[in-house]
Amino acid sequence: MSDDVPVIETDGLTKQYGDVRAVDSLDLAIEAGDVYGFLGPNGAGKSTTIGLVLDYLRPTAGTVRVFGADPQRDPIGIHERTGVLPDRFGLYEGRSARQHVSFVAETKRADDDPEALLDRVGLADAIDDDAGEFSKGMEQRLALAMALVGDPDLLVLDEPFTGLDPHGVRRVREIVHEENDKGATVFFSSHVLGQVELVCDRVGVLHQGRLVADGTVDELRDAAGIDDDAVMEDVFVELTDVRIDAGGESQ
Amino acid sequence: MQWSPLARRECRTILTSKGAWILTALIVLWGFRPTYTGWNAIGQNITIGYIQTGVNVLLPIGVLLLTYQSLIGERTTGSIKFLIALPLKRTHILLGKSVGRFAGLGATVGVAVLLLTGIGVFEHGAFAIRPFVGVVLATVLLLAALVSLGVLLSTAVKSTVSAAGIVVGYILVTLFWNTVVSKVYTVVTGVPVNPYDAPASGPLFFVLRLTPDGAYNVLTNWLLGVGNSADQFRAVYTKLKPGHGINAFVVEAAFESGTAPWYLHPVLSIGILAGWIAVPLVLSRRIFNTGDVL
Repeated sequence: MSDDVPVIETDGLTKQYGDVRAVDSLDLAIEAGDVYGFLGPNGAGKSTTIGLVLDYLRPTAGTVRVFGADPQRDPIGIHERTGVLPDRFGLYEGRSARQHVSFVAETKRADDDPEALLDRVGLADAIDDDAGEFSKGMEQRLALAMALVGDPDLLVLDEPFTGLDPHGVRRVREIVHEENDKGATVFFSSHVLGQVELVCDRVGVLHQGRLVADGTVDELRDAAGIDDDAVMEDVFVELTDVRIDAGGESQ
Repeated sequence: MQWSPLARRECRTILTSKGAWILTALIVLWGFRPTYTGWNAIGQNITIGYIQTGVNVLLPIGVLLLTYQSLIGERTTGSIKFLIALPLKRTHILLGKSVGRFAGLGATVGVAVLLLTGIGVFEHGAFAIRPFVGVVLATVLLLAALVSLGVLLSTAVKSTVSAAGIVVGYILVTLFWNTVVSKVYTVVTGVPVNPYDAPASGPLFFVLRLTPDGAYNVLTNWLLGVGNSADQFRAVYTKLKPGHGINAFVVEAAFESGTAPWYLHPVLSIGILAGWIAVPLVLSRRIFNTGDVL
């Protein structure tokens, strides 16, 4: 991949379910080295967009490129370099945390030590426990360990803070920074606005399937027309309210 | 092969499931039928006949129940999101699922075959090796066809309940296949079908052997040398025994010697089983490669 190709790029990306347009003409470019936060209320289309990027879903119109390649045509090339923590996932009952991580490592042909990865996400005490018995927070930690296998160049984290206690939230933030320092691009969706502000270089706000704002946190504050002391929540409410008032039109 | 870890995991899933080992036990219990009819039909090869009897009815039920959830289950729980995010093409995922489940079921069914063989040898002594090897290979083909069907079901149907309903429907239709085909044949041609004295109709006999278990019976009956029929070997033997009437469709009983159409040759059952392997796999691939997986 050449440096000038965005890690993720969408062009007019659209996903329609019957009468509902979950993602509407989305143009997005996430550059290498970014920590990009994808914000939006529930049902805004964040997970659908991630599904399109990862080829869980196929676009109704428009294109997606990841590392400059088409996810439908080159899933192997893309997924070898990508780690994924999906939203609303299930684990394999009767299999330990170690077996989950080992399975990903074997498929990716990575030589990661499952114990080291599980220790890194705070699951050192539950390595050989049945993942089917895990709490939501432990599931989330395990999924993060699976995402970290193979030192990915791109981390896609869909609502990574779900179910985590404050220690877990902090650990995720630290890992995002550590991976980003090693050169990974991080694309994550969240509605935990405070965390987005703490983690992200850039933020995109999705509302009713459309990208209504895109830029640094400061740029978004300017776009929302509120003062520099305003927290991310104020920025988000202002941006999405304005768009609702305008009938969903991007401004 | 980047999908081999997936295949290994699927194989382990089968080997650690109670259902697979219950199937093994049931095949042995159902298959071991030391009857005089069976002995009179094929003598010491009755040991091989036990395999046909055990596999014929129970394998379709067991294999479909152990495969129809292979993809739907992952969709329902959401674990498919991890699978799709791995460096695998969708076709590789299907291959891993199919090959892994086939290997796991092959091992458990293999144990059942070994047990039946051991019991048979203990009870009746040695048997002919060539038909034994042939019947084992035919069982492998039938297993592959059923795994292929189960994976297709898992790919094509979106809900577990619907898929389970289709499995039950399939079992019922194949169980009463002779009756279904006879009724349809009568409606289409106007010729009544009396299973005690079936008409010498090539198309009728051909359709009767189109199910996976029907083709399996035709092939194994041929290997056992009892006759050309989709029914089980004891029924075929009884039907061809002078002075006996039974509701079985046997080519030699319906057609004058040498007048049966070429497409009723038992060896063509290999082609039918191969079709049951290939067509569902191709359809699964087409369905799974098109559209959303969630």
